[in-house]
Amino acid sequence: MGRYFRYFRWHFFCVGVLAVIYAGILLLHGSADAGGRGNGECLTGERVFDYGEVLSEEEEEKLRQLIARRERQTGCDIILVTLDESLEGYAREREANVPWEEFVRVYAEEFYDGNRFGYNKPIGDGVLLVDNWHREADGNVYTWLCTVGKADEKYNLARMEHLLDQVYRYVEKNPYKAYKAYIEGVYHDMTGNAMHMPMLSWMFPFGMGCAAMLFFVAIHWKGREGKKTVTAVTYVNGGKPCINKKEDILLHRTVTQRKIQTGAGSGSRSGGGGSSSHSHGGHHGGAGHHR
Amino acid sequence: MLFRCQNCGGNMVYSPKHGGMFCPYCDGTGCEERVGGAGRMGGLDAAQDGNAAAVGGAAQEAETMKEGLTECVNCGAPLEIGKYNSTCKCAYCGSYVILDERVSGRYRPQRILPFQIGKEGVVKKMKEEFKSRIFTPESFLSEATLEEMKGMYVPFWLYDYKVHCGFSGRGTKIRVWTSGSTEYTETSHYRVERDMDMDFDQVPVDASIEMGDEAMDLMEPFDYGQLEGFSENYMSGFYGEIYNMEAGELEGRAEGKVGKDAESLLKETVTGYHTLAQEHKAVEAVRKGVCHALLPVWRYRYQYQGREYVFYINGQTGKIAGVAPVSKKKVLAYSGTVFALVWAAFTLLSHIVEVI
Repeated sequence: MGRYFRYFRWHFFCVGVLAVIYAGILLLHGSADAGGRGNGECLTGERVFDYGEVLSEEEEEKLRQLIARRERQTGCDIILVTLDESLEGYAREREANVPWEEFVRVYAEEFYDGNRFGYNKPIGDGVLLVDNWHREADGNVYTWLCTVGKADEKYNLARMEHLLDQVYRYVEKNPYKAYKAYIEGVYHDMTGNAMHMPMLSWMFPFGMGCAAMLFFVAIHWKGREGKKTVTAVTYVNGGKPCINKKEDILLHRTVTQRKIQTGAGSGSRSGGGGSSSHSHGGHHGGAGHHR
Repeated sequence: MLFRCQNCGGNMVYSPKHGGMFCPYCDGTGCEERVGGAGRMGGLDAAQDGNAAAVGGAAQEAETMKEGLTECVNCGAPLEIGKYNSTCKCAYCGSYVILDERVSGRYRPQRILPFQIGKEGVVKKMKEEFKSRIFTPESFLSEATLEEMKGMYVPFWLYDYKVHCGFSGRGTKIRVWTSGSTEYTETSHYRVERDMDMDFDQVPVDASIEMGDEAMDLMEPFDYGQLEGFSENYMSGFYGEIYNMEAGELEGRAEGKVGKDAESLLKETVTGYHTLAQEHKAVEAVRKGVCHALLPVWRYRYQYQGREYVFYINGQTGKIAGVAPVSKKKVLAYSGTVFALVWAAFTLLSHIVEVI
C-alpha cells in the first residue's frame, strides 16, 4: 500500500487541491449576498404561482424558501408560474400573429411586467419560468423562460436551452424536482460565469478517464526490451563516410500556373429564442421548449 | 588452469573494482600463481573407458568440443562442462577453472574487453533502473534471485569492412507561390549522383547460440578503447564460452548490419527532394579482416509465473536489455485508480470553470 500511495501521491494531491478549490468556491458563493432588495414597487411578495395545481402545499413552501435564499445570493427575482389553460386567446389578443410556441412568452412578459418584478427596480433583474401544462391545439405543451436585466445579460441561448433541458429532465415524473432544478440552475448560472460547456459534461471527464486508463495499461502491460543506442556511424572509421562525388545537376525547370477559385461562404441559421422590448419599458430575453 | 593466491592458497579472480587479480579470501592483489591442468575434456570418460591413448589433430579438436566431465584443478571434484564453455565454477570448492584447450590454439581469442563493472555495480544499476518500475514483482532483484547473476565473456567476431556506395537518380524540387489570384508551381528537375566510401571497423556479431542475437545487439556499443590482448587472468571469476560458430557462418549478419548503416548514411546525403526516382544504387561491402574477441556481459535470470525472464547488462557500460516481468493484476488495479483520478480531476475542473 505504501508504494501505491507513493506512486499516486502527486495525483491525489492535485485532485485534492481541485476539490478544495471547488469546495471553497461553493462556500464563497453560498455565503454571497447581493445586498438589499431595491424594488419597493413590486405588487406581490409571492414567487410561486401554482395555477396549474401540480405542486403540493408543502412543495410550494419549500420552493418559496429556496427562492428567498437564492434571490439574496443572485440579486435576481426568481419566479415560477405553472398553468393549465390555453393561452391562445390571451396571446393573440395582445399580439395578433404570435406563433403557438410564443403564447407562453407573451404571458410570461406580461406577468413579469404587470407585477413589476425585479430585484433592483421595477421590471429589473430577474427570471421567470412559465410552465403551461395545457396541451394547445397544435398538440404541444409549452414552457418559457423569461430573463430580464442582468439575467438577460448573463444568459445566452445555449445556457437557457440547457436550463430548460434540466427542467424537462424531471418535469413529467416529478415537477417539484424540475422546478427546484430551475431555481438551483439560475443560482448556479448567476453566481458562476454561466458558460455552457457541453464538452465538459459528464461524458468528457468519463472519456478522458477511459483514455488515460487505456494509455496507462498500454504502456505498462509489457516490459520494454531496451533501447538501441547504435547509430549508422558508430562503427564508421572517422565517424563519417568519405564522399567522393555529390552532384545535384539542374536539368530543367518548369513553371505552371492556375487561377485561385474564390467562392462565397455558406452560413446557417438557428432559432429558438430571442428578445423583445415591451410597451411597459422592460427588455426581455427568453427561450422556450415544448413537450 | 586456475589462479591461486600465493599468500593464502585461495582462488584469485579478476576484480573490475581493483582492475587486476584479487583474492577474495585474503584481499591480496597481484599475487596470483597459475596452476595448470583441467585441459583435457572427457578425461574421466577416457580413463573409465580404458582408452587413455593420446589423441591429436582433428581427433583432439573433436575431443575438445565434447560435453562431459573433467576434474577441478583445486579439489579434484568432477566438473560438468557444457559444449561451448571455456570456464566453469567448481560446485564443491567454488574455484573458477579455465579449460586450457578452450583458450588455446584456434579457440584462443585475440582480444578481450575486461569487465569494468563488478556484480555490486550491476546490482546497483539494476536497482536504480527498476526503482521506478513498480509493476515488477516484489521478488524481482531480491537477494536470493540476484545470486543467480552471472558475469560472462561472450564470444564475438569483430568484422572490418570496406564499403563502397553509389547512387544515381532523378529528383524534383517543388516551389509554390501566389501572386494576385494566380498560384505558380515551379518544378526543378535534377540529376542526383552520389559516390562514397567508408570503412567499418570492428562490427560485432555474437558467436554464441545461447545468447540471443537481438539482446546482444542491444548490448552495443562497446568502447573498444579498452580492448586488451587476450589473457586468461581476465577470465578468472567469470564464465566464458568459445565461439559457437565460425566467422564465415556469421558474416551474413555482419554484412546486413553494415549494409543497413551504409544505406542509411547514403540516404542522409540525398535530402531536400520532393520526389526521387532511383536509377542505380549499389552498396558493396568487402571484408578486410575479422577478429575473435570476448566481450563482457552480465546475465540475470528470473522466473515469474512459470516463465523465464532474462536480462543482459553490458559489463563495460552498464547498459541493460531485457523484458521485465509485469504483474498484470497490479497494472489493472493501478489503471482503475488512474481512471478515477482523471475522471475526478476533469469533473472538478469542469465544475470550477463553470462556477468561477
